[in-house]
Amino acid sequence: MRTRQIDEAALPHGTYLNSGAAARAGLKVNRFCYDLRQPENRAAFGADPEAAMARYDLPEEDRALIRAKDWLGLIKRGVNVFVLLRLAQLCGDGLVAVGAQMRGETPEQYLATRNIGKGG
Amino acid sequence: MGRIIGGIGSPHAPSIGALIDAGDWDNPDWRPLLRGFAPMQDWLVQQRPDAAILIYNDHVTTFFFETYPIFALSVAENHRIADEGFGPRPLAPIPGDPDFAWHVAHSLVDDEFDITLCHDMPLDHGALTPASALWPDRAAPWPAKLLPIAVNVLQFPVPSPRRLFRLGQALRRAVQSYRDDAYRVVVLGTGGLSHQLHGERFGYQNYDWDMRFLDLLEEDPEQLAALRLQDFIENAGAEGAEMIMWLAMRGALSARVRRLHRNYHAPLHTGFAQALFEDMGD
Repeated sequence: MRTRQIDEAALPHGTYLNSGAAARAGLKVNRFCYDLRQPENRAAFGADPEAAMARYDLPEEDRALIRAKDWLGLIKRGVNVFVLLRLAQLCGDGLVAVGAQMRGETPEQYLATRNIGKGG
Repeated sequence: MGRIIGGIGSPHAPSIGALIDAGDWDNPDWRPLLRGFAPMQDWLVQQRPDAAILIYNDHVTTFFFETYPIFALSVAENHRIADEGFGPRPLAPIPGDPDFAWHVAHSLVDDEFDITLCHDMPLDHGALTPASALWPDRAAPWPAKLLPIAVNVLQFPVPSPRRLFRLGQALRRAVQSYRDDAYRVVVLGTGGLSHQLHGERFGYQNYDWDMRFLDLLEEDPEQLAALRLQDFIENAGAEGAEMIMWLAMRGALSARVRRLHRNYHAPLHTGFAQALFEDMGD
């Protein structure tokens, strides 16, 4: 029998695949974040985030998550982590801060679980 | 016929590129990783391959989900340095070899790998990390032509481990059917080993799995090809699924290989590994 590569119902806890309904729901906000690779869009978001989001016709649900810097909420909504990082960086959160938030920890708590700074 | 001389596995991460650009090779937290490139740098200087086939993934930089190729191959004469959102890295564009690339494209499609062809494929850290780490001399022109092949590992369905292994085998047939008899090729596979960068499972790592992966990659890659993507996600984290690109590198090599180098370092989010295999011929 042919083996299905992915069983979405049996994914590890805290794992969200970009596929199907999530890929559709997240398309607009993914596009918004994707375009932040262009400096003029980064500048526009920095100057007036609400106007920048309005130009992309983002659903209110997405706008609320962005205002709240709710990175985990955006992932659950279907945003890909690599485009999300462009937005998070503009909002002052690097990968450590983003990861810590998703784990429900402070950056210090998260870093304490890592080898970095321990001669490792 | 052309010849594959070896294969290299390398991580990619924006943090690695930033350290390289700053000349910070001896940063205490990152030295064990950055200096792990040295034996591969030396080998490349000795071997001077004409071209490097690089199996990597784009991080939603050059390709966007509205139109997202599962496999894409560059036939470009030159590869621009992409701006991923933090400004482009200070690297010269990396030349390709269109004649070789078109040959590989024909060979792959004849072999039922119906790959998307790109005349313009700016490169992000997926490709630039290994290129800049393996050829670190910024004063010299890029010494090898680059043939980048982008693989979708971000939007599911993602091709299976078996499919990537077979892509490597098809690349071997492509190189071996190239008309230039003196053409020598190194194959690069890139990706972090275990890591997950999203969700409550962010930061997941699995040292034992990573060690077993490196063992099997060298000695019995068929075992890895027989796994499901779900096995990779469970054991290596969702972003660890990109390990399948190492499998494409291994598929392009001889059944038995000689390992010349292996290194592992996991300072922060990701299990980073390096491996260098010499091809032993058919």
